Amino acid sequence: MLALQRGVTGFSMPFFFVMISASVVDFVAIDWIFWLAPIGFVAGAGYGIAYYYRFGYAVTADTVDVSSGVFSRRSREIPYRRIQNVDVSQGLLQRVLGVAVVSIETAGGGDTEATLHFVSEDEAERIRSEIRRLTASTAASTADPDADRPESADESTSPSDPTRRDRPEDGATPTQLFELEVEELLLYALSSFRWGAAVFPLVLVVFLTGSDSGTGLVPAFVIDAARPFGGPATLEGVAIGPLLVVIAVSLVQWSVFTYVSSAIYTVANYYGFRLGRAGEDFVYERGLVQRYSGSIPVEKVQSVSVTENPVQRLVGYAGLWVETAGYGPDSGSSNQSAVPLAGTDRVYRFAENLTGVETPEFRSPPRLARRRYLVRYSIVAAVIVAAAVGLTQVSTFERWYLTAVVFVAVPPAAHLKYVNMGYFVGDDHLVIRSGFWNRRTTVIPYYRIQTISTRRSIFQRRLELASLTVDTASSRTFAWGTPTIYDIDLETAREIHGTGRERLQSALRERARTDDLDLSVDFT
Amino acid sequence: MESLHPRIRLLWIARGALAAVVLAVALVVLDQWRLTVPTVAIGVVVALALVLVVAYAVRLYQVWRFELQDDALYLERGVVTFVETAVPFVRVQHVDTQFGPIERVLGLSSVVVYTAGSRNADVRIPGLTPDRARSLQETLRELAVESEAEDAV
Repeated sequence: MLALQRGVTGFSMPFFFVMISASVVDFVAIDWIFWLAPIGFVAGAGYGIAYYYRFGYAVTADTVDVSSGVFSRRSREIPYRRIQNVDVSQGLLQRVLGVAVVSIETAGGGDTEATLHFVSEDEAERIRSEIRRLTASTAASTADPDADRPESADESTSPSDPTRRDRPEDGATPTQLFELEVEELLLYALSSFRWGAAVFPLVLVVFLTGSDSGTGLVPAFVIDAARPFGGPATLEGVAIGPLLVVIAVSLVQWSVFTYVSSAIYTVANYYGFRLGRAGEDFVYERGLVQRYSGSIPVEKVQSVSVTENPVQRLVGYAGLWVETAGYGPDSGSSNQSAVPLAGTDRVYRFAENLTGVETPEFRSPPRLARRRYLVRYSIVAAVIVAAAVGLTQVSTFERWYLTAVVFVAVPPAAHLKYVNMGYFVGDDHLVIRSGFWNRRTTVIPYYRIQTISTRRSIFQRRLELASLTVDTASSRTFAWGTPTIYDIDLETAREIHGTGRERLQSALRERARTDDLDLSVDFT
Repeated sequence: MESLHPRIRLLWIARGALAAVVLAVALVVLDQWRLTVPTVAIGVVVALALVLVVAYAVRLYQVWRFELQDDALYLERGVVTFVETAVPFVRVQHVDTQFGPIERVLGLSSVVVYTAGSRNADVRIPGLTPDRARSLQETLRELAVESEAEDAV
C-alpha cells in the first residue's frame, strides 16, 4: 500500500527542486550561472529524487504515519484525535501539473506536523476525506450533529445552490454554508489594509533600481514625483523644507502602492472563497492563483472572533474567524477565516449560531479607564513634541510648536479606545471586545480556558483597576495577543476570574456526562 | 498560601548584580571609547542599580505566593505588574522540576507547569527546596491525572 502511495507521491518533485535551485542561483553574479546552474540543477534534482525515494506516508487505522529525511531520518505517527486541521494548497504550476501539498496540523510544536509535498489532487482529496472519516469514527461518541438543530431558513447563500437541500449525513459532499460573492470580495480587498503588503513596494523598488541606472540609495522616480510639489532637483545639500516634501510624497506613494498590493493580495487569496460543512468539519476553499482548501474539525475550534475595521464598520460589514490550536496557512497562525466579509448582522448571527452564545449585552469598563488612556496618549503626544524640540537643536527646523497639534487628537483617541471596549459574561461563554482600528469581538467558551490571570500594573493598582487575561490553546494569540479585558474594577475582575474558573469546572462535568459539543457546524 | 524559600532572594540579587556588572562594564567601555563618563557617575549609577535590584528582590519575595486550591494551582506574583493566575489542574500538560547553576549552589529548584495555552505557556514556581519541588511535582501530576479531561486540545 505504501509503495503504491509513494508512486503517486510527487513524481514531479525533482522538477520542482530544479526550479527552486535554478532561481536561487540566479542571484549570484552573471558569469557564475553557466557553471553553477548545472551543478545546482544536478544537486537539486539529486536531492529531490533522494527525498522522494526516502519519503513515505501511510494512513493507518489510528494514526497518520510519515517517515522522511535524506540525511537524518524521522518517522512520525500522528493520532487522529490530535489532528487540528488539514490544509491543502496548490500553486499555479502545481495546478497545471495536478498536484497539491497536504499539511496536517496538531497542537504540539511550533510548526506544521506533517507536510506531504506534491501528491496528486485526487490523492490529496482522498487523504483528507480519509482523515476526516477516521477522525470522526475515533471520536468516541459524538453527539448526533443534526439532533436538535432547527433547519434554518437560509438567506446567506444563493437560493439556486442545489447542495443545500439534500444534506448529506456522512459528509461525503460538503454542504455549502457560505460563499464570498464578488462584491463582498472587492469590498474586503478595498477595506482591509495589510501591513505585510508594505514590503511589496520596497521589493519592487529594489528590483527596478537594481536593473537600470544606479542612483544611489534614493531611486530617481522619488525625486521626479516630488518635483511638481516643490521638491528639489537633487538631494545634494538640500534644505529641510523640500526634503520634507520629498519624504511626504514618497510616503504617499508608498502607502498607495501598499494599499494596491494589499488589495491584489486579498483578491488573489480569497477569490472564490467557499465554506461548507462535511459531517462535523468545516471545509473551505479559496484562492485565485494559488488554491487553498482544507478542513477544520468543529470540536477543535478554540474560540471564534468577529473582526471589523473602521471602514468595514462604516459600511456595515464584518468578518468571522475560527481559531484552533494548529498552525494554518495564514501567516503561521491558525486563524481560519470562516467568513472573510459579510454584513455585520449576518456575521454576528453566524457567531451566535456557531457557538450558541446568547446575544451579548456588552458592559463597559469604568470611566476611570478612559482617564488612563487620556493620560497615556498625552504622554505619547508629549514625547512627539519633545522629539520635535530635539530636532530644532540638530537641524534648521524651527517651528517645533506646530507639532503640539497632536494633543488635539488625544481626547478623541482615548474616547474611541474606550467606547470600543466591552465584555460580556455569558452562561457558557465570555465575550471580549476591544480595539478601534481593528475591533475584535472574541467569543471564548469557558470550556476552552487554559489559564486565567488578573493583572495589575502599578498604575492600575493606584486606580483599583485590573486586566483579566484569558488564555486558550488557540495559536492566534501569537499574532493577536491573548484575549484580555482591560481596565475593569478589581472587584469585577476577581468576580469574572472566579466565574471563569467555576464555569470551566461545571462545563467539564457537563461534557463528561453528555459529551455534547456546544459548537454547531451549521451556523448559517 | 505558601511562600517561597527565603534564599530565593539571594538568587534574584545575584542575577540583578550580574546585570549591574554588565551595565558597569558597558559604561566603562563607553568611557574609554567615545565620550568621557565621570567615574563618580559610573559608581553612582551602578550603586543605584544595585540598590534597586536588592529592593526588587526583597519585594518580589514578599509578594510571591502560591497555593494548591481544589480545582487549580493559584499563584500571585509581580512587583511592577501584580499577576494572579489560576491554572486549572485539568489543563496541566506536564510538570518539570528544574535547577540552574546558581540555584544548585543555593540548594533550590523550580517547578515548571506547562499548559496548552500559548502565552504564559509555562508557569514557573522558583525558590523551592528540592524536596518540596519534587513533592509539588508529584501532587500536581496526580491532580492532573485525576481531573483529566477527555479531550485536552
